[in-house]
Amino acid sequence: MDVFSNVALGFSVALTPTNLLFCFIGSVVGTLVGVLPGLGPVGAVAFLLSLTFKMQPATAIIMLAGIYYGAMYGGSTTSILVNIPGETASVVTCLDGYRMARQGRAGAALGISAFGSFIAGTFGVIGLMFLAPPLGRAALRFGPPEYFALTLTGLTLVAYLTQGSLTKALIMTILGLLAGVVGMDPISGEERFAYGSLTLRDGFGLVPVAMGLFGITEILENLAVITPQSIYETKIKGLLPNRKDWQDSAWPIARGSVLGFFLGILPGPGPVISSFVSYAMEKRLSRYPEKFGTGVIEGVAGPESANNSATAGSFIPLLSLGIPTSAIMALFMGALMIHGIQPGPLFISKYPELFWGFIASMYLGNVMLLVLNLPLIGLWVRLLKTPYVILFPLILLFCLIGVYSLNSNVGEIVIMLGFGILGFFLRRAGFEGAPFILAMVLGPVMETSLRQSLLISRGSFGIFVSRPICAALMGFTLLFMLWPMIWKRKTAGKDRSPSAQENSSS
Amino acid sequence: MKRADVTVVLILIGLAVFILLEAGKLSFGSLRVPRTAFFPVILATLLLILSLILLAQALRSAPTGRGPERIEVEGWFRIGATLATMVGFAVVLERLGFLLSTFLLMVLLLRAIEPQAWPKVIAVALMTSLVAYTIFGWLLGIPLPAGVLGI
Repeated sequence: MDVFSNVALGFSVALTPTNLLFCFIGSVVGTLVGVLPGLGPVGAVAFLLSLTFKMQPATAIIMLAGIYYGAMYGGSTTSILVNIPGETASVVTCLDGYRMARQGRAGAALGISAFGSFIAGTFGVIGLMFLAPPLGRAALRFGPPEYFALTLTGLTLVAYLTQGSLTKALIMTILGLLAGVVGMDPISGEERFAYGSLTLRDGFGLVPVAMGLFGITEILENLAVITPQSIYETKIKGLLPNRKDWQDSAWPIARGSVLGFFLGILPGPGPVISSFVSYAMEKRLSRYPEKFGTGVIEGVAGPESANNSATAGSFIPLLSLGIPTSAIMALFMGALMIHGIQPGPLFISKYPELFWGFIASMYLGNVMLLVLNLPLIGLWVRLLKTPYVILFPLILLFCLIGVYSLNSNVGEIVIMLGFGILGFFLRRAGFEGAPFILAMVLGPVMETSLRQSLLISRGSFGIFVSRPICAALMGFTLLFMLWPMIWKRKTAGKDRSPSAQENSSS
Repeated sequence: MKRADVTVVLILIGLAVFILLEAGKLSFGSLRVPRTAFFPVILATLLLILSLILLAQALRSAPTGRGPERIEVEGWFRIGATLATMVGFAVVLERLGFLLSTFLLMVLLLRAIEPQAWPKVIAVALMTSLVAYTIFGWLLGIPLPAGVLGI
């Protein structure tokens, strides 16, 4: 396959005025979402999903991708300037980024995080370009048992990587799968658990549930305890990192790019995890680990690069296998399916203009963000000062309109509010929303593949261990399930991942 | 933390039992030919098992005292008022129409979260509903309910 002609095809799609415009809009909106606390990338994508129904599929996915990586950029800006991570992937950036800002080096920190993100993002896209097509071709030989094993592995890994209790994450996964069961049986078309409701007959909609769990829940949490807004006034001068900064950052950026990319491919919140891992790695490799946390540029460059290449990497399982690995990828799957496009092994060969157009738009988006972010930082900071009394009602209004506009159905608003309340109380009890939403999307895939596998094997579960790929995945899953039990004996009572508050208050 | 976990477990067990009962009304099929109720029954059983594991963990662990942040009365009031306003929006949306409902929603939210001065409330609410109407109804062409105002 000729990569060059494909890339050329991609750019011919991405460079059409409409797509260019929406790539731009996506990047700006994404940055905005990343900068403003209260609405994360998942909520933003869920909200804008409803606006993409009337667009061409390529335009839709280009804009949504712009929001996703725009949010990654924007989140780091607020981490550095005001010590508030706009979203979880930039929590680590607070550690050294904010310290640098306090020392008057905000410009260098912002600059290196923008350049690092750009380099890593580009690396991630190149990786995506080369890795997704062969993986998709290999996946063509997958049958129902392999798909069942894949979904099982994916869900288990996500539960495993979710912070907090594994049992609680697994419960959320099961609840998500159960929510996916509501509506029509994917094989026979029989109605289940709908109780005569027209809204429920097609199952819980992805958008109302996602906006409830990630949009409404988030706002309710912010309303619960209102902290006074304080902006650290700082003059930003000299956005370009100096020569020494570059020398210090070159390797962290390179390592972060590679690390982030591969962690992004794995199921789970790749961008978040990779930023933590990158920080830990840089600290270990550093000649002066004790200085980390006092404002060293490596502590910004590494994690910021890692979370951006992870963003690109996380598209691989979705586009080549049809398996979303995080809440946000589940929404992308929803966006494609609304247009009647099934992501999976056939996706790249069936819709080359879509796949390559998307790739090309990611290159363009990265350039746009670099150009956009550096000069506009002042504007973003001013936006941060929007009082929450105005901001929260606006976000809530957007959520309400967004959900209503899907099908002009008030029932969906009710579903959104219901899941918002549910998500709020569940989160307070230590249950996270990400495994739920992912399981809900994967539920029908999992059920169909399980039932089809059993039909093929005439009721024998042996089919899941007699096929090599399947057996490997199953073994992997089992290992992950048993691992915490072995592990726990050694490190009982130790928290698996630190929370945002603990990190940013240092 | 402990009490919260036990409460959640009890609700989850109730849910699992409910699903098992409801699934009993659908056809289960067999391992060879699994039917509609097959998957939900497996899931509900897993939910039951996991809930019991969580219960055991909750009862065994010492109270850590590291629960979520305490919410004061004002916090609960803000949450309650905000939710009630949104439910109200859902109820009146198709009767009063988009413009009027949005205006009322914004007025109530602006007063509920942290009471603002009335002139400011009216100004912001008016502006927001008109801008939202222009963007969503006019520019993006989303069909919005007209209601009593007839627009």
